[in-house]
Amino acid sequence: MRLAALSLVLLAQPALANKVYVSNEKGNDITVLDSETLEVIATFPAGNRPRGITISPDGKELYVCASDDDTVRVFETETYRETHTLPSGPDPELFVLHPSGNPLYIANEDDNLVTIVDVQSHRMLAEVPVGVEPEGMAISPDGAFVVNTSETTNMAHFIDTASSQIVANVLVDQRPRYAQFTADGKLLFVTAEIGGTVAVIDVATKEVIHKIGFEIPGVLPEAIQPVGLKITQDGSRIFVALGPANRVAVIDGATFEVTDYLLVGQRVWQLAFTPDERLLFTTNGNSNDVSVIDVAAMEVVRSVPVGQQPWGIVVAPD
Amino acid sequence: MKSVLVLALMLLSPAAMAGGSGDPTWPCIQPKQPHLSIGQLWPGPPPDDAVIGLARRPDIAALAQVLEQRRLPVEEAEAQIAAFARGASAEELTALFVAVFDRIDAYRSRIMSGVARYAEKQMVLSDQIEARRAEMTRLSAAAEPDFDRIDAEEARLDWDTRIFTDRQAQLTYVCETPVILEQRAFALGRAIAAHLPATPTPAP
Repeated sequence: MRLAALSLVLLAQPALANKVYVSNEKGNDITVLDSETLEVIATFPAGNRPRGITISPDGKELYVCASDDDTVRVFETETYRETHTLPSGPDPELFVLHPSGNPLYIANEDDNLVTIVDVQSHRMLAEVPVGVEPEGMAISPDGAFVVNTSETTNMAHFIDTASSQIVANVLVDQRPRYAQFTADGKLLFVTAEIGGTVAVIDVATKEVIHKIGFEIPGVLPEAIQPVGLKITQDGSRIFVALGPANRVAVIDGATFEVTDYLLVGQRVWQLAFTPDERLLFTTNGNSNDVSVIDVAAMEVVRSVPVGQQPWGIVVAPD
Repeated sequence: MKSVLVLALMLLSPAAMAGGSGDPTWPCIQPKQPHLSIGQLWPGPPPDDAVIGLARRPDIAALAQVLEQRRLPVEEAEAQIAAFARGASAEELTALFVAVFDRIDAYRSRIMSGVARYAEKQMVLSDQIEARRAEMTRLSAAAEPDFDRIDAEEARLDWDTRIFTDRQAQLTYVCETPVILEQRAFALGRAIAAHLPATPTPAP
């Protein structure tokens, strides 16, 4: 009886739905999902080869790296109308927005630069020369450092946001692809696609303090290619997309041990949480779908077909 | 004519021949992955010897052969899997997946060897085109050019170039085939796994 009352209370809680935006690299469009019903609610064109995708803190502007158009396209999230573009430099792939919502830091894979753009004036503020083939971008929660990873130089470059100068270079494994700070700003995680590892970097000393390796029974090691990564707000769990292994690794944030390998879709690229961290979404580039992971149950609860070759993903804030 | 030669020259460059891998016998943009592995497609633990033996059971092998056919739409394959799943044990379902996997992986490997042979043939042809061009240059430079021979050589050069460019244009499709097979193996694996008994979830 008491159980029934409890479940009634749980059911009565208003479910907050957030829009989930998925960039389809080959379909050249964005698929919009509803985080509650998990249904596709819209699709709109986004230029050529949309990859990196992010949203303003107020949820009003959606930024998309249109890699083959050499520009960042900006859309109104209400109407899906393209309002303007931002100067991104050639072949923008990934970017990160300052926690305040401005500026935007963009990795330019072709010319070895990080471009800094003011999203209000739409002007380029600075270009920072980095290593060869810049790729992953992360910003510390206090906004003091931007980190860029370079695919060929195999480094994480710490850029001081005040001076736009590189202040430290940390060597990681081959082809670093994605970086993220913990919410307390103490640790930085960097995935290495070919190296097959995740480096844990101490932000204070700028040293690699741990390397996480992966081993999945029945999967050839070369198919394990860490790419996208997300950390829970409390730092207790880290999720890593393992590319053609079609799995997402779950890592204990205290011990750095892998606790699970969840089978999602094919060629899993990027990850995104709902703001309440109840669900984690994955983009699966070869099976053309998004897998939905129930974070508490640690289970894949749904796969939702989206456009052609889904790549990037972002969930609207509350 | 001149533009065709320029095009042929561009195609002949080693960079145009090899894909992203740097392996000249692998002309595709897609990374070369000679074999799939079961863990990429199947959520459960790797199958043991008993399950691998079960995969050879005639009814399971026969169903796998039907499911493997690409002309069978995935929806129909799902219906056949659902029919098989009624009363089937987890071992039998896993065995069905193993049987499907083995067939698709073997077929995919044959296709990939075919791609390598295709790339080798293109390299031989590109050498031949180069030799013909050299021969034409030599003939044209003669004090009294033999125009009949030059015309004949030019005709052969045109043919070789055409075959080369046509084959090159088909590459996109050829290179997509291993990916299409991998997608099918994954879709079938997912359809079969959907009938596995649910694993109890740990209490939160």
